[in-house]
Amino acid sequence: MVKHFSQKLAWALLMGLLLIACGMPAFAQAADLIHDEAGLLSGEEAQELEALAEQYGAEQDVDFLFLTTNSTDGQSIEAYMGDFFDARADSTGQEDAVLLTIDIGGRELYLAGFGTAEQTLDSERVELVLDRIMPEIQAEDYGGAFEDAVVTSSEYMEYRPGVNPESIFLKTWFHLAIAILLAGIIVGSMLYNAGGKVTTTPGTYVDRDHTRVRSQDDRFRNKTVTRRKVPKNKDGGGFGGGGGMTGGGRSFSGGGRSF
Amino acid sequence: MVIHYKCPNCGADMAFDSESGHLNCPSCGHEETIETLPEENIERKFDEGEAKEYHCENCGAIILTEAETTATHCGFCGAPVVLADRLTGDLAPAKVIPFTVSKDEAVAAFKKWTRGGRLTPRGFMSGERIKKMTGMYVPFWLYDIEGEAHVQAIGTQVRTYQRGDTIYTETDFYDVFREIDLSYLKVPADASEKMDDVLMDKLEPYDYSDLKDFRMPYLAGYLAEKYDFDDEQLFSRVESKIIPYIDSYISTTISGYSSVSYTNKQIDAQKKKVYYTLFPVWMVYYDFDNKEHTFAMNGQTGKVVGKPPISSGKVALWFTGIAASSFVAMKAIAFAVGGVLW
Repeated sequence: MVKHFSQKLAWALLMGLLLIACGMPAFAQAADLIHDEAGLLSGEEAQELEALAEQYGAEQDVDFLFLTTNSTDGQSIEAYMGDFFDARADSTGQEDAVLLTIDIGGRELYLAGFGTAEQTLDSERVELVLDRIMPEIQAEDYGGAFEDAVVTSSEYMEYRPGVNPESIFLKTWFHLAIAILLAGIIVGSMLYNAGGKVTTTPGTYVDRDHTRVRSQDDRFRNKTVTRRKVPKNKDGGGFGGGGGMTGGGRSFSGGGRSF
Repeated sequence: MVIHYKCPNCGADMAFDSESGHLNCPSCGHEETIETLPEENIERKFDEGEAKEYHCENCGAIILTEAETTATHCGFCGAPVVLADRLTGDLAPAKVIPFTVSKDEAVAAFKKWTRGGRLTPRGFMSGERIKKMTGMYVPFWLYDIEGEAHVQAIGTQVRTYQRGDTIYTETDFYDVFREIDLSYLKVPADASEKMDDVLMDKLEPYDYSDLKDFRMPYLAGYLAEKYDFDDEQLFSRVESKIIPYIDSYISTTISGYSSVSYTNKQIDAQKKKVYYTLFPVWMVYYDFDNKEHTFAMNGQTGKVVGKPPISSGKVALWFTGIAASSFVAMKAIAFAVGGVLW
């Protein structure tokens, strides 16, 4: 009985130590991911997002950062977030990050991928993420936008770099539809041909010596020309697509929108 | 009139043999070409005034037939007989394609065909339940068709190019005229009411290099029918058969356009010549699941047609098999390209 109890105690102690060992760096970094200088989030919301960013960041081996500000001090939003990241990376040494910046004063936002995320979340994917979160931004649900950005980005980062993660060819429903269609066509034609195929063709009974074009005429009649403008790739509020370089010499992928 | 072909050797009734193309005596094995059989061995007997009742020359039994039958067996002694007066005058066939697939070959070919059925029930696939095989000459009309087509159409050629930030789409319109001479040779249509048209159409094509001038001895040993519909009655059916052929020929004469829309298409087809022809068909009566299934086999090429029973279990199996394997294949490709399974 006593022996049993001491064994349990030893286990509990060991588990506790393990928990502390694992938890320590997480708690140490915790306050570092959300920089809500514009005060867009409630304290509770900030904590929840912090935990979420922590969890997804561990999976993708990057930091998911959220920066809000009331003013970029006259700089462009790219330069502002570049300076912020330079300072942070210099102090923490973490070069791999996804950074969502919202300038509530200029009503602009910018999403950037640094380090490994420059490849895994390239500018093309950034645009896709921005497309996804714009409705939430417009509804002024900034916390929700960050949450969506984190979830969507890490989903996209699973894909091989350069692949469009929203491609229809990678969708399960598309695979399923094609599989069913294919099986339907093949089995359908098997059923249709079970009673014997028609093997006569238009050429079977034709008398080639006497079937011919006796006279033919192709006369030009008229011509119509329609013009249209080459469609623009970016919609109105987009800027800074393709990423760039921070003041500190860190290159990044990214894209921004106004709202 | 009843005709027996007597063996010059032993006097037994000879029948047409599909392998050699000659008359063959079943009792002594003697063979005789159709052209050289002595006239005295062709035994004819006229039943004057008795158009519908025939007597077997061998045993004297009355041969009961339907009014369309032109060749059959004596129901009593089994001797092959040809009812000649139903094959003369207006009713005389011009051409015949003799059987080249013998009964044994037909059975083997049918068994092979049943084994190839991927959707048929297991019990059907053994091909062991052939109830009856009947070699039958089915009457067909072969039409030589001559005609012409006058076609007017509007063809377009579309070009797209870019200058600066403007995309130009240029469409050229052409008036297209074609005058076409058409000729189709020996398009068949079955003239027997009993035979299913769809089934008979699927039996085609026959190889016309074996088309022979009709001679009665080819029919000995088989069943034969005379036509129910004459060539005038069947012409509309042949016309509807060749119209798609003509349409597809017309479209091959108009090329080089992005789109063609016909404004006027006049097709005028007339029959130039018709041949009353007998085609060889093996009818296969097959028992499965207490139901009789009827199949037809081209007696020249061995092609089998007819609706086999379908096993819904096998259909489901094939469907899920193909769907599942193509789904897995696509997932594998997606994984190889995208690096993500779901």
